[in-house]
Amino acid sequence: MVEVRLESVSKRFGRVVALHEVTLTFEDGSFTAILGPSGSGKTTLLYLIAGIYKPSSGRIYFGDRDVTNMPPNKRNVGLVFQNYALYPHMTVYDNIAFPLRLKKLPRDEIDRRVREVAKLLHIEELLERYPSQLSGGQQQRVAMARALVKQPDVLLLDEPLSNLDALLRIKIRAELKRLQKDLGITTIYVTHDQSEALALADRIVVIDRGRIQQVGTPDEVYARPRNLFVAGFIGSPPANLIPAKIVARSGSACVAIGDTVYCPDKPLSEKLARFQEVIVAFRPEHATLGEEPAENMVSIEAEVYTVETLGKENIVTLLVGATPVKVVVEPSVRPQPGSKLFINVEPEKLMFFDPETELNIEYIEV
Amino acid sequence: MKMAGRNAALLFFLAPAFILIALFYLVPLAITVYVSFTDMQNWSLYTLRLLPNPLFNYARLFHMMLYDPDFVKVVYTTIVFTLVTLAFNVLGGLGLAIAVYLMEERLSGFFRGLWLLPRMTPVAVYALLWYYFFLGSRDGTLNAILMALGVIDKPVQWGTDPRLLPWSAWAIIIYVNVLVGVSFGMLIFYSALRSIPWEQVIAARVDGASTLQLVRHILIPSIRWHIMFVTVWQLLSLLTTYAHIFLLVEWGVVDRWWSSTWALYVFTTAFGLGGGGPSSTYQGLAAAAAVILALVGAGLGLLALRLLGFRRMIVPPKGEL
Ligand SMILES: Nc1ncnc2c1ncn2[C@@H]1O[C@H](COP(=O)(O)OP(=O)(O)OP(=O)(O)O)[C@@H](O)[C@H]1O
Ligand SMILES: [Mg+2]
Repeated sequence: MVEVRLESVSKRFGRVVALHEVTLTFEDGSFTAILGPSGSGKTTLLYLIAGIYKPSSGRIYFGDRDVTNMPPNKRNVGLVFQNYALYPHMTVYDNIAFPLRLKKLPRDEIDRRVREVAKLLHIEELLERYPSQLSGGQQQRVAMARALVKQPDVLLLDEPLSNLDALLRIKIRAELKRLQKDLGITTIYVTHDQSEALALADRIVVIDRGRIQQVGTPDEVYARPRNLFVAGFIGSPPANLIPAKIVARSGSACVAIGDTVYCPDKPLSEKLARFQEVIVAFRPEHATLGEEPAENMVSIEAEVYTVETLGKENIVTLLVGATPVKVVVEPSVRPQPGSKLFINVEPEKLMFFDPETELNIEYIEV
Repeated sequence: MKMAGRNAALLFFLAPAFILIALFYLVPLAITVYVSFTDMQNWSLYTLRLLPNPLFNYARLFHMMLYDPDFVKVVYTTIVFTLVTLAFNVLGGLGLAIAVYLMEERLSGFFRGLWLLPRMTPVAVYALLWYYFFLGSRDGTLNAILMALGVIDKPVQWGTDPRLLPWSAWAIIIYVNVLVGVSFGMLIFYSALRSIPWEQVIAARVDGASTLQLVRHILIPSIRWHIMFVTVWQLLSLLTTYAHIFLLVEWGVVDRWWSSTWALYVFTTAFGLGGGGPSSTYQGLAAAAAVILALVGAGLGLLALRLLGFRRMIVPPKGEL
């Protein structure tokens, strides 16, 4: 159990910059999710912490120890691979016992610890089997057991649930969270599935093209995305982004979204005054649809394009000018495609981004 | 009807292989067995008649094993040469493959190329190289080097000096064969190692394995089937190959009998040895020796497969094929 710290870590593969100047701290005992699209550098980040890759520049610390040049076998990390990487020529028991045998622990202690962790992960009946005789979910648990049995200081998980069906995923997700809290191991969990990240993690690191986009609690990342990438990546469906103009009304800056003009209060209007254009964003689940503009709401006129029915809710896609906008509504709401409606959003739920820097203007110092 | 069609198809696909096997294996085998029952000499067809006692040549070989000092040398040489060369070829090939596998890519390519050189060199050229190297005169490379270094003051007859026999002759033929043979194992083992999923190797590292532990617990077990295959293959081919040794014996750089393996004995008995070799050739006797060699090879091959658990390694396919 240890704190993991990265200081300006970069990793290049030839001309490809897989990670650029990453500075991060993973607190002792915390559960952090690394969230990003395919190819964003998540696995690279994990392998750097495990010691499989050496950083091209920067330093990595476990607590006070500088581990930058320490080989993986000295780091005491547990790693669960995306494809599990069980040893096919060993039984489940031998797979789990392997890290302990390497440490030359006494036989009875190995046996005790293997059975303990097998019980924890409900794989006691599988111990005599070979990996090829297991289902994906069972293999996943074995891989987890192998990572946990050596009581690692840091547990690294690379999309461990991506090969499982949706039901099993939710089940194991819950077990994983409980397990991590019980054991208190510093855990770093890589995923491109945001619902996993939001459900599991104390903290989320959003990464894109090798650069950290935002670090925050699930709430922060959801409610106050730092830039357009995060806004457009988090949430399902993600936030709506509508280009808008800044116009002056009675001496203060207002936002013109199509025909709708919204004039915010003091601190915000002062910030907006510095821009000619902004991108307005709001979440599909924060908007409602109505025949009329609503009181105390920002109402935007739009034309219904399609309706997707998902059972517990419907997703209505509308066009604001040429920009598609999604709104999540009750299953009973099924407007006709082609009809004109108003999208009503509470002003507090609106977010504004600078189109140049793509930053949320909330985060811009005045 | 369906059954008949199936058989016809089977026949169609298997026939070419059957014909080839029959033509180039079964027929020569039958001829060899027949010749071994005759007293054929000097390739004279007049002598190609069944002996009154067809097993006479076999009895004679058995007798020679007990009483002919030269033939006893052949037997010892065969056993020592086969086992020691086999051990070097398999273990050396394994060691090289692992070393090359753990090396950086660019270095590894160079080393693999280097070890393939002897195999790519024509046998005669390669044998000539070592002929000059071990030559007993002061022109021999080894002698020249050692004399220049002052280790010896007059040339040593490395392969023929009675005081050094049989060890020096054995060392030379084993050395020359290992240098060629080791690359076979190296190539097979290396490509097998490369096909181990990278994550498994990394997983072992993360689990705490040192390089030695990685080799012992992951790399070697993962390629055990290949190790078995190379062992059996090399055992059988070492029992039957003689090209390199033949040239070294023919050119007189090593002692004839302390360098003759059974296979070479078969060859020289049937075809004679140039230069100072015997003038008569004995095809009947050679054929009997060849039949014994084939039987021993088949027996050892089956035994090895059984001992190494060939059955267990052929995993039944998942699902129905
Ligand atoms: N060994 C390597 N050699 C060259 N380029 C690499 C190597 N490993 C990764 N990259 C590149 O670095 C970038 C980041 O890769 P990485 O595997 O970390 O992505 P990821 O976020 O894990 O993606 P995914 O979600 O698809 O697993 C990619 O552009 C990838 O092509
Ligand atoms: Mg990845």
